Parts: sequence; structure tokens; C-alpha cells
Amino acid sequence: MKLRVQLQCKNLHEYLKELSPEILDRLYNHPATCLAVYRELPPLAKNYVMRMLFLDQPLPQAAVALWVKKDSEKDHDQCVSVLSGLRLWHSQQLQGGLQGNILNPVFKDNLRIALLGGGKSWADQGDSLGPDRHARDVESLDKYALERWEVVLHFMVGCPSAAVSQDLSQLLIQAGLMRTEAGDAPCITSAGFQFLLLDTASQLWYFTLQYLNTAQTRGMDLVEILSFLFQLSFSTLGRHLREFGLVFQRKRKSRRYYPTRLAITLSAGVSANSSSTAMGATPGTGDSGFIVVETNYRLYAYTNSELQIALVALFSECLYRFPNVVVAQVTRESVQQAIANGITAQQILHFLRTRAHPVMLKQNPVLPPTITDQIRLWELERDRLQFSEGVLYNQFLSQADFEVLRDRAQGLGCLVWQNVAHRVIVVSPQGHGEVKRFWKRQKSHT
Amino acid sequence: MRLSCSDIGFGDWCLESNIIMVNVLKGVLVECDPAMKQFLLYLDETTALGKKFIIQDLDDTHVFILAEVVHILQERVGELMDQNSFPITQK
Repeated sequence: MKLRVQLQCKNLHEYLKELSPEILDRLYNHPATCLAVYRELPPLAKNYVMRMLFLDQPLPQAAVALWVKKDSEKDHDQCVSVLSGLRLWHSQQLQGGLQGNILNPVFKDNLRIALLGGGKSWADQGDSLGPDRHARDVESLDKYALERWEVVLHFMVGCPSAAVSQDLSQLLIQAGLMRTEAGDAPCITSAGFQFLLLDTASQLWYFTLQYLNTAQTRGMDLVEILSFLFQLSFSTLGRHLREFGLVFQRKRKSRRYYPTRLAITLSAGVSANSSSTAMGATPGTGDSGFIVVETNYRLYAYTNSELQIALVALFSECLYRFPNVVVAQVTRESVQQAIANGITAQQILHFLRTRAHPVMLKQNPVLPPTITDQIRLWELERDRLQFSEGVLYNQFLSQADFEVLRDRAQGLGCLVWQNVAHRVIVVSPQGHGEVKRFWKRQKSHT
Repeated sequence: MRLSCSDIGFGDWCLESNIIMVNVLKGVLVECDPAMKQFLLYLDETTALGKKFIIQDLDDTHVFILAEVVHILQERVGELMDQNSFPITQK
């Protein structure tokens, strides 16, 4: 009767919605943040914001509703909820007594600054340093970023060669991705397994959000960090970030920071197409996917990255290894082993789809249906029996008694199952006490 | 054969008054497909788990059983599934 914990990967908007209004308002004081949030909005919402950007008075809601055609009502409603959730606009009474909408003034001013220029410069001190003697080009930055990120993932998988700082391993433990027992080296949890199989953008986001959550306990200001992160994706700066591979800093003390591609994708966010070419590079492989899955359950991974091979070995049995390819087989035992570790069939399939070789991408659907169905069936095998603790009530002497008790249990929300024909109900153990008291009171009345 | 309140050590209380009486039993509700339910009835009849564990057979897809046999039951079902599966290809 264990619950499997599902890894929740939020994108920028969901995270922002959860922040308190004061923090959000302080956040919107920075033009960089406003621009990043604006870019993440759905196209219709962007349109609305643009139209209202230069208005100083509220606009009647009826007028806003007229901007869409009759059959796009749903889009309009969705837009409204997104904008309200992010506190980008609020309602205000107009003079005629109608309800109007007006953009959040802080957000409005800063977005104007972001779009038109002005305000403080974001890339401070960049020019005053002069040309860099040790300038790195884009490629080596990319390589560096991927290396650092892979070290983190290697550490999670348990490769002995990977070593990370205390800070980082503490963060991993707090994020629930690893667990440490009484002085032993940390070992990975089932949430950690699920994390490993996500694509890089989602991993980055999850990790950053966890870091932000713990930042408050360290006494660092959430607003500063968030606005810094957004600035980073538009220009430069970082210290812990150096370790994630988000920035490159030649020595701990040098004043220059180079943002890497990983940092830029942070701003592009998870909601952007995770298979878009800008982000395309999966670590260790270069430009494209590298896994071919055949209908005979064989898997060929054209890679020699230790990390990728370790990930594939999580849910399949490796058969042969050559300098450029690893041959593995997806079997019932290996998949059920992975599921026992906490990985779901959906995650395995997502992993295979996102790393599918270009040859595989040409066929539709990408993965053979036999494989996807069978992996799901192997997962369902474990769920053939579903258990719920309960208390059984039967042998009611009259239909009326049965209905009274049943309705009471339903009202309390603890009714697990009922059979009206045989007058049997099952109540959850938590509700049993309350139902018992109710029944005793009932009887003492009659 | 149905178990009565005393058999399962349920000494909590029995709702009673002269007129109104309801039977109350504690256990675990199991939901499954009809085929699996037949398997459970079979295990119960042959006392394969060492004792009879079905308190009440509710309908085609639900059974009420003792709480303590849950683990052994999962193992038995796992064994059944293993027996029915065959390696798909030769290595």
C-alpha cells in the first residue's frame, strides 16, 4: 500500500504563482524579470499585455472580452487566469461602476523599461574589465557546462570518480534526490532516479527551484537571487552557479563570469519545446539522440558517455559494449527492477523518446507500440491488486438505516465502497470513529 | 464459510439495541479484476496462506480480507505472474 512519489517539475509560471504577493511585487521591480515572465506567456496573453502596456486607465472587462471571437472563449478564459495568477493585472472599479482591468503598475513600468531601454544597466562592469586574456569561445563554454552538469549527475548515479562539494551534496539531500544515513556516503532515492531520466532543461529547473527554496533558509534574499538569475540569462554573473555549470569562472577570484548555454536555457524555460534545436544537445552526445529501440526489445545506444550508459542500464540489461555502441535488452526483470526503484513506465518512455536516434524520429510513432505497451503492462502487473484498509458494515435491518449511515459516511468523505443491493458499506478507518459516534447518537434518539 | 467477529479478534463493539443491529468488521478491502478474484478464492479454499483470510466476498471485483495477509498475498500474486511469463527472446 505504498504511494509512489511523483517528481513534480514546475515551470517558471507555476513557481511564480506560488510566491507571496509582496515577493512577486519586489521581483517585478527588475526589468529583466518582467521581460523573462513576459516571454513565457502564451501568445494571446502577450497580445493583451502589449495592448494595455501604455494605458494609464483601467479597461472595462467587457472591452477585453470583445478582443476574441466567440469561439475562442476558452483561450480567453485561460489567458485571464494566467494573468491573474501571476498578478500581472487586477480588477478595479471604473467610474461607471463596471469592472475594469489594469496592469500591475510595477510590472508595467519595468516592462516598458525593458522594451524601450533606460533604467540601470544590466551588464554592470562588463566593459570596464578590458579584453580578456583568457577568453573562451562558445564551444569550450558548452563543453565546460556539460562536463560540470555531468559530474553532478555522475555523483548521483554513484560513480566513484565524481566528487562534488559539501554544499552541493547537502543541496541534493535537501531536494530529496539523495539520502544519507549516519555518516555513510549519500545514496540515491527513488525521486533521484526519476530526476535522472528527465531531460536536461527539466533537471535544471527542478534543481534551481530546490536551490531557491533552500536559499531562504540560508539567509539569502529570494528576490535578489531570482532577479540575478534572470539577468544572468540576458547577460553575466555567479558562484554556486559555477558548480552547476551555469557559469564559467576561470578562478574563484576572477571578476569575469561567462554564462553558459545551460543558464540561457533556464530563461527559455521548461515550457519551451524540449526538443527544440537551441537546446537540442543532450549531454555527452553532440547534437542528436542516440538510442535505437527495436521491436524485439533490443536497445542500441550509440554513445560512450559513462553517464548515459549508466542511465540506460537503470532499466535494461546490458549485453555487449563496443567503443561506440552499447547493446542492451529491455526485459521484464529489468523494467520491474526499475519500477521497484521508483521509476515509472512513463518516465522510461519519455527518456527513450527524448533521446531517440534521428533514424527513429522518422517513424511515427517514434517508439514501436509493442515496446511502449509492454513496458506499461509490466508496470500494471504490480497493480493487479489494490488494497485499502477499511471497516465493513453489513446486515442492516432496514434500508433506511443503511441509507442514513451511508449518507453520513459520504458526507464525512470516508466512504470507500458501497453495495446498495446487499446493504453493505466500507468506511475508512479514520472515519470509523466518527461514524460510530454518529450511529450511537442516532440510536439513542429512536 | 464466513468468519464471525470473535474469529478475527474483533472485540471492539457490536452496535446493538433491541431493535437496530449492524454488523461491523475490520479488515482490508481488495479491488481487482474478476480473474484475479478467482485466484484469491482459490488460495482461500486451499488455505495456501496457512489460514482462511477472506472475511467476505463482496462482488465480482471486491473482496474483504484480513489485514495481516496483505504482504504474503502480494508475494503469491507475484509468483503467479512469474509463472505465467516467458522470456521473449534468446539472449
